Amino acid sequence: MNLSLMRRLLCLALICCHPTLFAAKVTVDPNLWGDPLGKECISCHEKASPGLAQQWHKSAHAEAGVNCLDCHKTSVEDDDAITHEGQVIATIVSPLDCSRCHTVEYEQQKGSVHSEAATIIENRLPALAGHVGGDAIIAAGCDQCHGSKIKLRGDGTIDPSTWPNSGIGRINPDGSKGSCSSCHGKHRFSKAQAREPSACVRCHSGPDSPDKAIYEASKHGMQFQSHRDEMALSSDSWVAGKDYVAAPTCVTCHMGAAGKLKATHDVGMRNAWSLNTPISQKQQLVVFEDGDKLELPESHTSPKRGSELTKSDGSMGKVKAVASPKRRRQAMNLVCLECHSKSFAGSFMKQFDGVVKLFNEKFGKPAKSIMQALYSEGVLTPVPFDEPIEFTYWELWHDEGARARHGAAMASANHTWWEGMYLVGRNFYARFLPQVEMVAGKEMAKALIEEHVKSLDHHQWMDKPQKANPILGYDVTRQDNE
Amino acid sequence: MSSRWKLPSFITRHVLYALVLGGVAGIGFMLFLIEFDHLTSSEAFCTTCHSMELAAESYRQSTHYNPVSGVRASCGDCHVSEGVFAATWDHFLGGKDLFSQIFGPDYDNPVVNVLHLPDAAFAARAWFKSKDSATCKRCHVLEAIQGKRTDTNAIHREETTGKSCIDCHINLVHRKVPDEKTFKRAQWHRMIEEEFGIEAGMANQLMAK
Repeated sequence: MNLSLMRRLLCLALICCHPTLFAAKVTVDPNLWGDPLGKECISCHEKASPGLAQQWHKSAHAEAGVNCLDCHKTSVEDDDAITHEGQVIATIVSPLDCSRCHTVEYEQQKGSVHSEAATIIENRLPALAGHVGGDAIIAAGCDQCHGSKIKLRGDGTIDPSTWPNSGIGRINPDGSKGSCSSCHGKHRFSKAQAREPSACVRCHSGPDSPDKAIYEASKHGMQFQSHRDEMALSSDSWVAGKDYVAAPTCVTCHMGAAGKLKATHDVGMRNAWSLNTPISQKQQLVVFEDGDKLELPESHTSPKRGSELTKSDGSMGKVKAVASPKRRRQAMNLVCLECHSKSFAGSFMKQFDGVVKLFNEKFGKPAKSIMQALYSEGVLTPVPFDEPIEFTYWELWHDEGARARHGAAMASANHTWWEGMYLVGRNFYARFLPQVEMVAGKEMAKALIEEHVKSLDHHQWMDKPQKANPILGYDVTRQDNE
Repeated sequence: MSSRWKLPSFITRHVLYALVLGGVAGIGFMLFLIEFDHLTSSEAFCTTCHSMELAAESYRQSTHYNPVSGVRASCGDCHVSEGVFAATWDHFLGGKDLFSQIFGPDYDNPVVNVLHLPDAAFAARAWFKSKDSATCKRCHVLEAIQGKRTDTNAIHREETTGKSCIDCHINLVHRKVPDEKTFKRAQWHRMIEEEFGIEAGMANQLMAK
């Protein structure tokens, strides 16, 4: 067995090493839950907070005998420990707390793009939310999806600028990252609810991640709407192609079990591309011995198993496995194949890749190069968003560019073009380039546009002003062309 | 007749004077104690010490100061037992606060005051617990607690066996202090240092004084 085959097998094992059931069967000794003291909470909470008590009563937790204290108990040394009716508890139940029973899911979500959602934007946050918005926006906006860094006060209260929060990358007092309740509404923790697209759209909607609208406009979303009752959403086993075939939801493709493909709580594992970056890159997923993960661009040499690599937090980690973009795409393809033929799925992916590459080459790279030149020449101040062109550039890739790429990834024609690449093009030609000239002056702008834009085949049409078309009513030369 | 009502021989005229005077003095002393307890339980008396003015700041923001009913609880209503003997005893014990005010740390300094607040809170809670929250019950009758929400009444009827008011109701009037069990002094110090904008480590120094 040669080395590359071994690595490929390892990657496959990495992708497929999870149990068939979406939620792994809890293997903890049942004697370890059902704390008798926790049973005492219930009668009072049925009165004090009847809503959440009722939700718990309807939950699988209640059915299994898991009570309030099983999740909320903590030790007095913990920073967020409080006393409540004689018990030492914590308000926040972190993924680490959930991992007392749900170990597999915890290990999978650890280091995923979800659990790192707050860390990923940490550097950008002060410029965007801080300057353009303000602290109130960070607490009630950004952090509600990305997750806050929970701050405890010396009097045992949680700083209200960081709580309540169920952002998916929340940094918890115990150091763990994430919030299970982001998708699994607390205290009911319904399987069906988490499998619904609505579990995702609280955050995956809006300009930078318009997945709600895209999914709803796609054939997949249409089928889901029509055949929701055939989705077996409450089923214990939820394998696409076996337990349901009506439609895929967000969970189906990004996390769910399908045929031979096992389920995972690492939501980004099957993503071959980065789609929310100024320029999309194919990415390889590095998994470290301690469970941490790192996204590396494909251009980076694939790290060897057992080698040392700098992790996203700056510390060193030992590489356990690497999943190449090709492997990740193969995993995603396995979901498609439950309903589509190989060639159908393969050709769809070609169309998707084509849009991503078009965005990269035609708009993403030239715009980025021009912006870098404007900064290095001192034309723009280093502070972001104090000049109109900075908003134009931001929206070019972050809003319209993301929408076009997500639209192509999930088959919404309208979002790919009219809501996506059309707006990218309009921004680029009718706002960005004119603004370059406004800030840099005619001469410098001309040089920049020549170098970064007009040198590309994609933009050659700009130098053919006589090439007429009737679309906007220019009829005179139309006769010549016909 | 006169022989039937004759006073015992040891009750001489002087003894009689002494008894009457003693009685009057006794009544006077009791009346004094009642007035004394009444006066020394008032907010006006307590806040003659500046340090207590700091405690009163949070009190004046609380519902015990500004209830919709208009029934205002004053310092002594909560912190001094009912009954002239118990009240006098509590005031006697409270004399140690006066001693500390004069000879102890500089409680008039808001930072020093709030640094010592947790210890004061723990002591007060222990006192309430030892009295089975007797002073709360001067006004609050368990059976009569209705609350604004329908379930408040049911909770007080059905969930309070073996519990005293103070077990659940802490941090009602004065600045919030965690339960002693989960209190972390280092974190408290850091919070106060941040709040008053003083150098890290200053809290420890102030406490050591």
